[in-house]
Amino acid sequence: MNPLTGVAGLLGRPYKSIRLEWSSDLRLLRVRTAVKPIQCYSLALMSELQRVLSDVTDNPGLVRHFVLTSDVPKVFNFGGDLALFVLLVRARDIDSLRLYGQRCVDLVWWMENAANLGVHTTVLSQGDTLGGGLESVLPFHKIIFERSAQAGFPEVLFNLFPGMGAWEFTLRRAGFAVANEMILSGRLYGAEELHYRRVIDVVVDDGQGELAIEQVVRDVEPRHRGVMAALRAQRLAAPVRYETLMAIVDQWAEAALTLTDRDLRLMERLARAQARKAGGADEGAVEEIKRMELENAWGERRTGFDRRDRVLDDRRTRT
Amino acid sequence: MLPFFAELVSATDEDRRAFENHPVVVAAVGDGMSAERYRKLLLELYHVVWHFNPVCAAASSRLGDEFTAVRMFLYEHMQEEAGHESWVMNDLEAVGVTPQATREHAPSAHTLALNGYNYWAADRRHPCSVLGMLYTLEVIASVYGGPFASAIRESLLLEGDRGVSFIDSHASLDAQHMAELRQILNQVHGDAARAAVLESVRLNFHHFTRIIEAV
Repeated sequence: MNPLTGVAGLLGRPYKSIRLEWSSDLRLLRVRTAVKPIQCYSLALMSELQRVLSDVTDNPGLVRHFVLTSDVPKVFNFGGDLALFVLLVRARDIDSLRLYGQRCVDLVWWMENAANLGVHTTVLSQGDTLGGGLESVLPFHKIIFERSAQAGFPEVLFNLFPGMGAWEFTLRRAGFAVANEMILSGRLYGAEELHYRRVIDVVVDDGQGELAIEQVVRDVEPRHRGVMAALRAQRLAAPVRYETLMAIVDQWAEAALTLTDRDLRLMERLARAQARKAGGADEGAVEEIKRMELENAWGERRTGFDRRDRVLDDRRTRT
Repeated sequence: MLPFFAELVSATDEDRRAFENHPVVVAAVGDGMSAERYRKLLLELYHVVWHFNPVCAAASSRLGDEFTAVRMFLYEHMQEEAGHESWVMNDLEAVGVTPQATREHAPSAHTLALNGYNYWAADRRHPCSVLGMLYTLEVIASVYGGPFASAIRESLLLEGDRGVSFIDSHASLDAQHMAELRQILNQVHGDAARAAVLESVRLNFHHFTRIIEAV
């Protein structure tokens, strides 16, 4: 294969939601994402990413480093396309929900197997990384967060769970307790907290992310073959199975169909907050999630009072 | 093979997102709109809703027996939607527009284009194209209607359903309609019928976006 033809083919396609950059000295392919107006995993973004990844697969040896970043200031990715979810849930369309999940899994599965193609993967988050956005970074070999970036799995707040790799990849990176805590709490974590829990690899000051990417690539490059071999072995030592990922997608799709109107309204609240931020407002989905967390906490406290009242009532009844 | 509904969702996702992405829609769903613009939007919506059942009737009268299930679906749907233009009229009255002014309002070119296309498609393209109109309007109502109604309520300080009853109630009503629409779309067979539905979804999203943009 002529590498020039390969590069031209790789970079020559027209894309709407992504921008590609190529560094020939390092054979580094950089993908920058920008989905308008809301930076989420829309069907179009996933199709375009899948196209790029297929091109990399079809040109073995061409790409040695794959880097993913966001072109949207302060947002890496908000995760699933909430408006599409609302549509599919209201239409009770389990086929499309499964198909959406499968597309997500196909992307993380490529990342999981990147070392088999001789590709080292690095991702940089400089802002909000929510739900599917966080799931999508977890299979990367090196995860870099700038200090002000925040991440979490808010799905439980509207009675769902992250179903496209969150369990498997968080378990492997950080262990059972952390996966449990993150997925079941729905809370958001700062970059330092994620680093402390071993969910991410590197935290740098805001504005230093680009330097950190360069550092990672320059570190790996001279030892590329050895690193790739080691990472292939790492995946064998702690494997993630495609069948398990897809079985969880099935559970996720079934759970999505049990969402009530109230749950969907909460999802719509988040979508509306995302739209507000896209329209230039200071506050967006992260602030809305924090409000939901607070409301949940107050709900629990109220429930706690209720429980205590019931216990008192029981005691009164017994005496 | 994917059911037709799933294929339709996927094939028209860009059209849905083009509507969702429009700055006016983003701003309306996020922050609502001024009373003046909301009145203009409802006045246009009145004419869309008024023509909804006549378009369905035109389509159902042209459906052959191979599409009996679609015809029966349209009959039921028309019954449910009958008189809903008066809900829009009530909302208009709540924000200061008399019923007479509503009736006398001349729809914009975009509204005429939307209604005109739907009659033409039912008559000349394929009567199943009406399902594309239903899909688009129900996606807009059930996915964006709820947040938009909340935003309008907050921005215009409206109480309860006053002034937003049509949009808010259709956000919930159309949830059930979406499930029924999926079932009937999955029963639409034949390349011509399916192509007509796809085209209709694209055109309806396009014209509806223009209507909102112009207010």
